[in-house]
Amino acid sequence: MNGRAATVAGYLAGFALLFALWHLAATLLVRSALFPPPLPVLERAAALIADGILQEQVGASLRRILQGFLIGSAAGIPIGLAIGSFRPVRALLEPWTEFFRFIPAVAMITVAVIWFGIGEESKVFLIAYTTVFVVVIATAAGVGAVGRDKIRAAQCLGATRLQVFRLVALPATVPYILTGMRLAMANSFVTIVAAELVASNDGLGKMLWDARLFMQIEDIFVALVALGLLGFATDRLFRLAIRAFAGRFNPTM
Amino acid sequence: MALVSLDGVGKTYRGRGGAWEAVRDFTLDLAEGEFFCLLGTSGCGKTTVLNMVAGFEPPTAGRILLDGREVKGPGADRGVVFQGHDSLYDWLSALDNVAFGPRLRGMGRRARRAHAQRFLELVGLAGQGGKHPAELSGGMKQRIQIARALANDPRILLMDEPFGALDALTRATLQGELSRIWAGTGKTVLFITHDIEEACALATRIGVMTRGPGGTLKAVLPVDLPFPRERTSDAFMDVFRRVHALIHEEIVRA
Repeated sequence: MNGRAATVAGYLAGFALLFALWHLAATLLVRSALFPPPLPVLERAAALIADGILQEQVGASLRRILQGFLIGSAAGIPIGLAIGSFRPVRALLEPWTEFFRFIPAVAMITVAVIWFGIGEESKVFLIAYTTVFVVVIATAAGVGAVGRDKIRAAQCLGATRLQVFRLVALPATVPYILTGMRLAMANSFVTIVAAELVASNDGLGKMLWDARLFMQIEDIFVALVALGLLGFATDRLFRLAIRAFAGRFNPTM
Repeated sequence: MALVSLDGVGKTYRGRGGAWEAVRDFTLDLAEGEFFCLLGTSGCGKTTVLNMVAGFEPPTAGRILLDGREVKGPGADRGVVFQGHDSLYDWLSALDNVAFGPRLRGMGRRARRAHAQRFLELVGLAGQGGKHPAELSGGMKQRIQIARALANDPRILLMDEPFGALDALTRATLQGELSRIWAGTGKTVLFITHDIEEACALATRIGVMTRGPGGTLKAVLPVDLPFPRERTSDAFMDVFRRVHALIHEEIVRA
């Protein structure tokens, strides 16, 4: 496809430009040992990959994100559907979502560590926490946005309440759910780094923290670039999945 | 016995801004097989009348009977074609949109698709069943809506300004198609419009409403012209003039 090739070329050019500017800034503008140019960083990354260290850290962070993200989504979708569908449930649970969404996951790190220790559970909890409210709000908004005529059309074709929910409200909400999950995924990347910075034995956040302690400036930049690339790749994958699922009927996705 | 009968029907909305009467003392009998156009200026309450017959909104006065039974809510015996095409299901193909009613009744996938295909053919979209609504033009979407309603075999077809958002040429084409389909299926139709020519082209009877608020039925005119209607004929023009005079009184009566 021509359009896709152009998009990929644009991405490559965009990244090339970013690295070129980084190189110029580091070699001409700053010229400090604290701001390494891209080449030594890439060399360091190659060395870390050869030793298997980078993969290990990336794997640790990704595994936590995936687990927490799946738990948070699995909890958030039904809660969001219930809030969007039933007025009493909305009245009851909306204060929760409106309360907790102003307590960022980063602020919950202390509690998580006290409750779950510095092992996997605290990180997975934090990712699930940051995921669930975004997914709940997006899902509930999606249910509320189902067009009145879509529901009426089903009613005058003879649909029961359950059929209206299952065959109209639910599929109409899917694009909103997927968009919420995509946002939650981005939040998960923010949260995992913060959590691993504070309390962890491995992961990209821990790598950042250790590199700061030992002034391994290249390692810091390797971790930063890895985060950026991972987030970018995950988001693209998510978008492709959404396209494959909903693109035909919703060209804006 | 009338298929649908509205007996002293009224609708008053009560909100924070006080009460607002949309429809007042509306009485009308619709006979089996007729094509009734309800014509009125905007805001006269004609869509409210349709919504009450469809069962989307309950009347606050009088009652509505279908086959002698009081209308208590929406049901499969009254098929609705909506003004906008937002009522179509974006995630389903055109064919599956048309097959939606039979699906609700538990008809198997193959049977309901074969059934739906016949109605796609009826509205002239035989080859478009695999497309999704986002891939179809405005006129095609309204054809899908008509096919979807008819595929469910309702007792009456309720149409709420279905061609209002279309360009003039597409509208004229669809009016011709609808006339043909109506003649072929013998369905009873209640058709809401504010377009005098459209009413004259389609209806066997035209009901003209008074201006709102509190709109009611002002006059009912039988239209005895043969189909297909010749819009430039003297007889057509004569009907047009009579309906126009009735509507004009309502516009002037400001």
